[in-house]
Amino acid sequence: MQPTGRSPVVDVALQGSGISIAEQVDRAKVLQRLRLGDVAFRNITRGAAVTVLVILGGIIISLVWGSLPALRAFGVSFLYEEVWNPVTEKFGAIAPIYGTVVTSFIAMLIAVPVGLFIALFLTELCPMWLRRPIGIAIELLAGIPSIIYGIWGLFVFAPFLQQYVQPFLITVFGPIPVLSTLFEGPPYGIGIFTAGLILAIMVLPFITSISRDVFEAVPPVLKEAAYGLGCTTWEVARYVVLPYTRVGVIGGVMLGLGRALGETMAVTFVIGNAHRISGSLLAPGTTISATIANEFTEAVGDLYTSALIALGLILFVITFIVLSIARLLLMRLNARIGV
Amino acid sequence: MSMAAITVPTVTHAPGNADDLTEKVSVRNLDFYYGDNRALKNINVSLYQGKVTAFIGPSGCGKSTLLRVLNRMYDLYPNQRATGHVTLDNEDILSPSQDLNLLRAKVGMVFQKPTPFPMTIFENIAFGIRLYERLSKSELEDRVRHALERAALWEEVKDKLGANGLSLSGGQQQRLCIARTVAVRPEVILFDEPCSALDPISTAKIEELIDELKDDYTIVIVTHNMQQAARVSDFTAFMYLGELVEFGETTRIFTNPNDRRTQDYITGRFG
Amino acid sequence: MDSSLSRLYARRRRRNVMTMGLAYAATGFGLSWLVLILAVLLWEGFSGLSLAVFTEMTPPPGAAGGLLNPIMGSLVMTVIAVLIGTPLGILAGTYMAEYGRYDKLTSVVRFINDILLSAPSIVIGLFVYEIMVAQMGHFSGWAGAVSLAVIVVPVVVRTTEDMLTLVPDTLREAAASIGLPRSLMIQKVAYRAARAGMITGVLLAVARISGETAPLLFTALNNQFWSLDLNAPVASLPVVIFQFALSPYKDWQSLAWTGALIITLAVLALSIIARLLAAQRRSS
Repeated sequence: MQPTGRSPVVDVALQGSGISIAEQVDRAKVLQRLRLGDVAFRNITRGAAVTVLVILGGIIISLVWGSLPALRAFGVSFLYEEVWNPVTEKFGAIAPIYGTVVTSFIAMLIAVPVGLFIALFLTELCPMWLRRPIGIAIELLAGIPSIIYGIWGLFVFAPFLQQYVQPFLITVFGPIPVLSTLFEGPPYGIGIFTAGLILAIMVLPFITSISRDVFEAVPPVLKEAAYGLGCTTWEVARYVVLPYTRVGVIGGVMLGLGRALGETMAVTFVIGNAHRISGSLLAPGTTISATIANEFTEAVGDLYTSALIALGLILFVITFIVLSIARLLLMRLNARIGV
Repeated sequence: MSMAAITVPTVTHAPGNADDLTEKVSVRNLDFYYGDNRALKNINVSLYQGKVTAFIGPSGCGKSTLLRVLNRMYDLYPNQRATGHVTLDNEDILSPSQDLNLLRAKVGMVFQKPTPFPMTIFENIAFGIRLYERLSKSELEDRVRHALERAALWEEVKDKLGANGLSLSGGQQQRLCIARTVAVRPEVILFDEPCSALDPISTAKIEELIDELKDDYTIVIVTHNMQQAARVSDFTAFMYLGELVEFGETTRIFTNPNDRRTQDYITGRFG
Repeated sequence: MDSSLSRLYARRRRRNVMTMGLAYAATGFGLSWLVLILAVLLWEGFSGLSLAVFTEMTPPPGAAGGLLNPIMGSLVMTVIAVLIGTPLGILAGTYMAEYGRYDKLTSVVRFINDILLSAPSIVIGLFVYEIMVAQMGHFSGWAGAVSLAVIVVPVVVRTTEDMLTLVPDTLREAAASIGLPRSLMIQKVAYRAARAGMITGVLLAVARISGETAPLLFTALNNQFWSLDLNAPVASLPVVIFQFALSPYKDWQSLAWTGALIITLAVLALSIIARLLAAQRRSS
């Protein structure tokens, strides 16, 4: 083998590939020195991972600690009493809990079908060139901060509802026996119904994008088999796609629900902040997060503050359960389709 | 110990001359497990200084697994372990006290798919050098140039050392990886199907390279291409279903194998 | 064709047309909200947009003014939150993707992290209130920054783990094959390969906390005046919008709209940059 025109000095120095014993020892020393940093880095990353668990633990512990005075004072009755009186220091959480549950329920009732249909549109009907722009638009909807929804809801949406929609609903449902109480006036504009609608718009993008992702994961052969039998698009969606993606869709719905339950600012603006349960959806009410947001900084007295923290604990427990179910479902889905 | 590694070995490529043979790596009673699955069964083989040894065999026979034991690459993954003895220059590399990074600096590896680091061409090579040595800028440049020359890549990239390593063609990237390996001055180089992702022209260049490199290194190459093994190697090991069926000089293995299975594989009875 | 068969087929056709129509309607419905909200935001907020917004303090009701102190406060707290949350998130994600990819700790952390990702931010505010504000005896900008950091961490953990997992193992093996110790391989090879994705994660986290109001309500509180003292209440854009929008004063409401526009534009800009980075990464 001929050397390729290097200088003779370099040649001699580089002849043979092996390195001397001295250099081997040096190399061992370098690696020894690096080892300490290596172990340190590993431990630091491990510690950081554990910190995530510590944060969760901290949240739970601090919430429990803060709620203790209220829980000790009221016991289980805290969960079903409607009274909320800072003056007499009697607090009951049923109104906020009711509001949270009902507004989220209304939101899901609207957002789930609409979201599924949008996902269906995006995967089956939408022309290819339009898919990315619309997908981006949906994501933008998800990215708008909740306070924007709140201020828009208060100044634009609520008045609109008050002027046109709510009177309409009151007149339509007036004669119908049971539903008339649900849609009883006066049309405030703000209230549980409005909050539920705004939540629906906020949760819609989440349901849509998760549904779209799971719909796209359906193997084309499955759909082609159905189309090949002469199924219409709707029949393919209903009898092939939806059953196949059921777990993922439910997971996405739970995720959306988790967000709806915890949503604060949008709801605070339009719910009316009334600590009571009304029969009518058009009446004002409150949710857990709205109550905390509105009253925390003005809460005087330890019991009042503790009652608010207890509300936060209840909310955290509810969302934790919902989000855990969502995660478990989505994990099962990922395992099944081998993601 | 092998101080003999420093002197330029005599250039006789005539195998069969037993005086030339120094055992560099010795594998004795090696078993390898993926979980509970025994993938290598009682492997015994010797790798000789300054020679090219090829591992051949059908898919799944364990040749890549065996290769990856030699630099303990499997250690990166849980559930993979080896039992037995593998010695490099009389040091047992399977022992838990073996410094893995030191071992891997001595035993370099070139992979099937070219994997340049996401850095400039110069950095790709300098990176490994800088790890162990503190050199002046000109010394470093000399070393980088030398490595690229040894990999027959210098002429093609000397004007674009600042370009990203990923901007090279497949064959060039692979030679860059060879240069990177050579720059760290190993004693053994392992090639894991280095040409299977390359076109024939790049493949020929790399085979030429291996022939040049073997003067200074001990080379092991895993290949599924029998003709390549015949062209390039001095010794060949035929593996089948996790066992080392036969080992010997390449010319003998390909013309007069002892074992029936080797014969069947060579003649293409199974692939 | 048999008449009952053709009737069945007609019904199926009708149903299909109806449901497809619903799909179109649903999409139009969803998109029109986006258009409506953005249009109103631009309409109301744009008229109030002027240089004064960025140079003057929040005014008392009835006077003219700007949003300088809340903008500044938000910027400062956001920067600190990112400085605290990003290293923590990256290191945790590194452990999950590199050292502990297959171990139990990682699966538990991943599960918990995903829950924290969607947890109600007001609860995070309560948490930081308990551990910082209650302990220190007063509201502070530090508490506000910490609550934002707690929101940043799960986002960064998730994107870091995802991006590092995408780095092919062959690259890791190539680094190991020249004797590179694990930590150096991660810092100098894996991070570099995943760099664009990790930056995207940070941008997404910033976009997320830009609009967060609830956690700031009782940590950083609010401040009418110019103050960079983080040991005291600090004004922030979302909280000021909250206060001004709910007030009965027209000029405060107008400032609230302008502030809302600023936040939305910032969030949109960050999302666009993150998207561009992701596209660049995909094409390289």
